[in-house]
Amino acid sequence: MKIRDIVLAGILSAATTAGKLALSFVPNVEIVTLFFIVFTTTLGIKRSLMVAMVFVTTEILIYGFSTWVIGYYLIWPMLVLIVSALSKRVSSEYGYAATGALFGFFYGMFFAITESFFYGPAYGLAYWINGLTFDLVHGVSNFIIILLLYKPLRKMMDTSLKHYYNSAS
Amino acid sequence: MNKKIIAIIVVILAAVLLYAGYQAFLAPKGTEGSKEVTIQIVIEKENINETFTYKTDHEFLTDLMKEKQEELGASFESFDFGTMITGLMKYKVDPNSEFFLFQVNGEDSMVGTDDTPIQDGDVYKFILSTF
Repeated sequence: MKIRDIVLAGILSAATTAGKLALSFVPNVEIVTLFFIVFTTTLGIKRSLMVAMVFVTTEILIYGFSTWVIGYYLIWPMLVLIVSALSKRVSSEYGYAATGALFGFFYGMFFAITESFFYGPAYGLAYWINGLTFDLVHGVSNFIIILLLYKPLRKMMDTSLKHYYNSAS
Repeated sequence: MNKKIIAIIVVILAAVLLYAGYQAFLAPKGTEGSKEVTIQIVIEKENINETFTYKTDHEFLTDLMKEKQEELGASFESFDFGTMITGLMKYKVDPNSEFFLFQVNGEDSMVGTDDTPIQDGDVYKFILSTF
């Protein structure tokens, strides 16, 4: 791990946090999923996992410590791992948009499972059903955002990373 | 670009259908009409055990509790996930250690008051509890 990688993780996690906060007034519409998909396909698994860890830790500093922290520490690295596995087969933005949509649809279910470890399966089921409409919005908005922005953002990241690492040598 | 617009329209239509399915089969439903319900509040440390009986046309419990807010001494806080009852009988919970356990007809409720449809004869019980 080079110093430039560590600095990059800080910059990208800050950008992710800023992007999340900028859209926080719209429930369940976010660009974090798009960012992590782009990071994974451009930076690779190791550096993207580092960004995810720094991002989640920053979230805890902002919102405080609670049971969602465990789910958060699992779900974003899990997205990185899934995208990393898919990236060998998927190259079009449609594939990633579908991945983002499924991620949004099952986001609530994932947290329902982690919450049910603390409060029991009945609470988990109620939590999931109660949030289904939010999951629907999350999945659809992820699909649209990724479909429209994956390619331009990917291109921008490729160019910026080339400059960033070339200027190091 | 046209292909993308079509894909987006298809996904939105599918979401609308799924939402309609959710509303039809999964979302909690209330029944209109005059219903008689009981609200019991137990705050042991303050020796409070009050029971109120109301006739209402409201469909969900939060609406009834907000209407009777003064009598119930209730305070609420709204979050993304719904309304949280932060006080009853003018007793405010300590958010770091206390909450109101909510029971419907003697059983712990799986949902909050926002999603509890008012049914005739229901007994809603709020018990100050600690965690």
